[in-house]
Amino acid sequence: MVSRFDQQKTKHQLFHVSLSLATILICMAYMQYRRNWAHLGSFWDSLVVPIVFLGELLKVVLARFYGKVEDGVLTAKQRQKKNSYFTPRELLGGFTLQFLCTLLYAFICIILGAPVLGNYEQTFVLALLMTLLTVSPTVFLLGGGGALQVCFCEKPDFVTKCEDTALNLFKYNALGGILGAWAGSVVAPLDWGRDWQAYPIPNVIGALLGSALGNIYACTHVLYATARVYMTKKRT
Amino acid sequence: MNLTYLFVLIWLAFLISSGVMLFSRGFLLARVSKTETSTCRRLSTNPNAEYVLTDEVVNEIFKDVNASSNLCLPQKSKVIVLVVDALKYEFGLYRANATDPLPYENKLVVLQELLQQNPDHARLMRFRADPPTTTLQRLKGLTTGSLPTFIDIGSNFASPEINEDNIIDQIVKNDLPVVFLGDSTWTDLYPHRFKRSYSYPSFDIFDLDSVDNEILKHLPKELESKDWQVLVAHFLGVDHCGHKHGPMHEEMARKLGEMNEVIRSVVAAMDNDTTLLVMGDHGMTASGDHGGDTDDETNALLFAYSKQHRFYGNDSGSDSEMLQQIDLVPTLATILGVPIPYSNLGLVNFNIVPDLRVPHLNKFQTLLLHSWQNAQQIYRYFFQYALENKRTFNVEQMDHLETEFILLTHRVQTVYNEVAFKSFVRDLNTNLRDILGTCREIWVRFDPTQMSQGLLFTFLPLFFIFLVVNNSRPADFPHIFKAKEVFYVYLINLAAGVFGYRYFKTFSFKTEEQGVIFFTAISSAVILAFHTLRHWTSIATNWSAVKRFGHMPTRLLLFGSMAVFFSNSFVIQEAKILSYLLAAAILLLSHELLRLSARLDFRTKFKASQFLRSTALRLILASVLAICLIRFAYTLFRCREEQGNCSDFVNTGGAGFSLKKPGTGKTYILAVVVLVVYTTLTRLYLRSCGNLTGNLPNVLLARYGPTVASICAGGHILLANSSIKHIQRTHIDAMALVIYGLLLVQIIVLSWAPLMTFVLPPRSSHTVTINGNESIVPEIFRKMKRMYEGDDDERRSHIPVVYGLATVYSSIVIAFGVFLALVMIVLLEPRASIGLVVCVAVGAILLSVHSILRYRTATSFESCVQPTFTALVGWFLLAHFCFFATSHQTTLSQIEWRAAFVGRTTGIGQSNLVSGALVILNTFCGPIFFFCMYSLLSTETFSLFALFPNLIRSCRSGGKVDASTSMSDLANEAVGFDMTRGELSLYEYEDVFLGTGFKLATQFFMLQGLKIFCAMLACTIHCRHLMVWKIFAPRFIYEALATFVSLPALIVGYLLVLRIHRGVDTLIKRINKAKVH
Repeated sequence: MVSRFDQQKTKHQLFHVSLSLATILICMAYMQYRRNWAHLGSFWDSLVVPIVFLGELLKVVLARFYGKVEDGVLTAKQRQKKNSYFTPRELLGGFTLQFLCTLLYAFICIILGAPVLGNYEQTFVLALLMTLLTVSPTVFLLGGGGALQVCFCEKPDFVTKCEDTALNLFKYNALGGILGAWAGSVVAPLDWGRDWQAYPIPNVIGALLGSALGNIYACTHVLYATARVYMTKKRT
Repeated sequence: MNLTYLFVLIWLAFLISSGVMLFSRGFLLARVSKTETSTCRRLSTNPNAEYVLTDEVVNEIFKDVNASSNLCLPQKSKVIVLVVDALKYEFGLYRANATDPLPYENKLVVLQELLQQNPDHARLMRFRADPPTTTLQRLKGLTTGSLPTFIDIGSNFASPEINEDNIIDQIVKNDLPVVFLGDSTWTDLYPHRFKRSYSYPSFDIFDLDSVDNEILKHLPKELESKDWQVLVAHFLGVDHCGHKHGPMHEEMARKLGEMNEVIRSVVAAMDNDTTLLVMGDHGMTASGDHGGDTDDETNALLFAYSKQHRFYGNDSGSDSEMLQQIDLVPTLATILGVPIPYSNLGLVNFNIVPDLRVPHLNKFQTLLLHSWQNAQQIYRYFFQYALENKRTFNVEQMDHLETEFILLTHRVQTVYNEVAFKSFVRDLNTNLRDILGTCREIWVRFDPTQMSQGLLFTFLPLFFIFLVVNNSRPADFPHIFKAKEVFYVYLINLAAGVFGYRYFKTFSFKTEEQGVIFFTAISSAVILAFHTLRHWTSIATNWSAVKRFGHMPTRLLLFGSMAVFFSNSFVIQEAKILSYLLAAAILLLSHELLRLSARLDFRTKFKASQFLRSTALRLILASVLAICLIRFAYTLFRCREEQGNCSDFVNTGGAGFSLKKPGTGKTYILAVVVLVVYTTLTRLYLRSCGNLTGNLPNVLLARYGPTVASICAGGHILLANSSIKHIQRTHIDAMALVIYGLLLVQIIVLSWAPLMTFVLPPRSSHTVTINGNESIVPEIFRKMKRMYEGDDDERRSHIPVVYGLATVYSSIVIAFGVFLALVMIVLLEPRASIGLVVCVAVGAILLSVHSILRYRTATSFESCVQPTFTALVGWFLLAHFCFFATSHQTTLSQIEWRAAFVGRTTGIGQSNLVSGALVILNTFCGPIFFFCMYSLLSTETFSLFALFPNLIRSCRSGGKVDASTSMSDLANEAVGFDMTRGELSLYEYEDVFLGTGFKLATQFFMLQGLKIFCAMLACTIHCRHLMVWKIFAPRFIYEALATFVSLPALIVGYLLVLRIHRGVDTLIKRINKAKVH
């Protein structure tokens, strides 16, 4: 017996990863276009946060699209969850969760070395970017309560197959973003005297690059699995 | 069997330390000092002398000037030398239009007056010192005229007598009487040289007036006396004022005003045949410190005054703006008519030589003779040194200098007029300065052989430790390290050492030390390789069982901490980098704990109320608190010059001096409060463990000792740093001595009776009662009953009940740590004391989080007792982070020398060994404390479980809870053995426990060895870096000292565990014997 090759899932995964990489490429192109990177720490003067936000939304829309195509039959719990997606309670819960996560990230930035009595806008922008890369996709996909369930508990019953695929890919994005932002501080102590060494520019760029690396790793994973299936099929 | 591991640890510590020592010998190369002396025949104007200066002699001299090097011209004048310690060049400058002068400005007005009244009789010059700028090194340079080397820093405590030729010996040898007043460093360097000496110890750097007042008491009558030719006075008040208050303080104005009056009175009292020289031996930083090589520290002041005779002018060819300190030596020799010391490299500066007419010689003939004698002395020393120490200097450079010298020897014969003299002297000075530059460059030359051998011999033990110890299980250690084999290892190393000592020359080694280190390192590497090969099967099996990427995040943290050494920017900002990595380690532990708790506690649905009540939330909050404490420690960091906005080093336009703030009263109060909170919490913890019950010696000491010590430490903090003037220093010393005494008593009690347990006396069966308030006693009672199988009612009444057995190991370690911390607190300044307690709090939180994580992931006793790699690296980073949190910095200017005087200002125990120990204890309090306490990483899991048994319920909340199920069965089901006995389990599995303690110590050895290896590698890579002596070499010195301190501290920690284990063994045997009886 040969394993059935899931063509739809692979398409979904590759499309998802392409969207992530495209988002980051657009951010890099935008930064290159602006040349002066000091604006990265400004909330109103930078488009990085809106670009990342739109990228995450597109990925969620993609998951919805493939879910509509493939998830023909929903279980009772899945149907109930889907119906309650746009209720005010769920929307408020999701917004509250993202807000709390932004505050948590800002606090972590401060206790890891960001200035305590200054640079609030820069810290807020970095925290917001971290939230968009890590928590917001899950909240957009499943709502506030669903996100908490997925993070802290075993796999809930209401998660559909396409949602599960998207959640697995979101993990790489989140992990890469966190590690990249943390590693971005490596240039801060150096005495090169460049403009882009100022806080939070290295951490923002580090988060974006880390996220890109995470997605590249995920893409490699998907392609490797696909190649293995084809090799198995060819050998048979 | 227990001591075998200890001897293996000592052996490994010796191997790592000897590699570091070998590297330091190659990297911090010392200049070879020579004991030859210069001699000359002194020409005199007295007709009855042995050698008389006549026209015939002058004609003979100028027939062959090259043959005149053994002649000295007559003395020109008497000399008064006033050394004002730390007299900076800027202190002597005069700002005429200063409306609001700084405390140090315009205080030495007498210099300005003399310069204006008699411009030809007075000179004010910059007096450039060679680093390191400590008084001892500067006095050596000022008297020998030679260059100090970096290795001389180590002798700062020793004050050895100078055995090189020097100006003092030359003066004394030529029957010129010298009188000395002031700093006793001179009489330590030159004992029995002075006709009369009034020397006073420079011991108390907070005393601004005692030494100076004693000088002022004796100076007037010495000035009136006629029986001396040289008078030296060394004032210390300005230097001590800089250390205590900094230059921007009114006390500095007072001290400089006093110096002004001293100079004025000396000028008034000196006779017409005397030359006065006022000089500083070094400068000071903006915060009033010195020791390094900044411009502030190397720029001192020189003022010269001659009452009757003018000085030579600019036409002598000497620099009129700046004088090198080594130039003072030949200049003094010229003034006094004595030979220039043998190893001098300085030039005569005629701007401060009185222009006395020498009979039968014109002015330029006199200058020519002096200059040429100076040159010949330098050439003789330079080429003799090169001849005796081959391969020291570059061959082409030597040939070039020799060729120029030969040309100059021919040219000196043809100097007949003033124009030719000026041209000749200019070329001669250039050539001599080239020699000086060559020597400066060469005597910081690195020895590649010793450096590479040091690197290799440090790496080999680390590599084999990793193979043999890290990849073996504690159960395998008795087979790997047998007692007999360890004895043979010591024998082989002894034989190899003797062989290296005897035959070091055969192998072209420079010293016996190098031979001994080489052969012991080679033989030890062979022995370790043999151990590796013999046990390769089990090593490979254990190694394959490890997950490939199991420790990757922690290894990244470790890599980050090692990479600090390779960039000067990272070395400068190391405090923040270490705090960043330490916070990441704590976050890693929290993340693992949170992930584990989430899977266990919230299996099906996330409930906020359940999360708020869970243990995981409390531990996460504790971790956040630890990171907040680390962030708070930012305010305790000390900055260094390379950090651009460092307030200690700001020097913008001379007006940017900052006050050296001694700390506000709030800092003192906060330090005392933090201290009291620390001792109180520790006492409460020990009481809740049951370890403060009974009358055993260690129990009494732990119950009352910390209270007494914290009262004395708080009093010492408040009194020693306050500005109360009438407090007796004896009383302040008594407080510190009480704390020292308590630590000594603790060590004695540990050696004698370390346990902190209490055995209840047996009672009759009908009066046995259980105290319901004690939650520990029922558990211990039931465990003791089950342990000794007391089934029948008759024997049950004789089962002993022991308090404090559940925490028998960790309680003693914690009590010892309290006394150790209090000694360190009294040595540190108040802000640094807060830093130490903050680090202790972070360590406690790290232990708590790790213990619960270890419990929840353990599957056997061995995995419970072996800490995770993340906790290991976290503890290691915390030990080194504590160095910065206690306000230390890796620069030589910022060593806390005041620690040497804590408790000893009345001169008790004036020993350099004690001073060094106190400074080391102050500087490296973090590594010492945390490495002595490293065994808590193994034992804390058991004590926490014994104290909080409900932690086990979180694990089983999902399953069916049966009230009849006993706690023992729950523990067995969770981790595979009965954990309710607390740390008594460590005694039951003693082989695994002691083996794991040994493994843990060797892992810390590896981490510290890897760190010092990276420091040495960075110095090797950057040995031609512009900042090597400013950044990388001090960093290596600090890391080497940390290594020499950390390895013994780990051995002390392991020794403590062995001692406690023997005490527990004695107790258990005694209980067994009583039971049988």
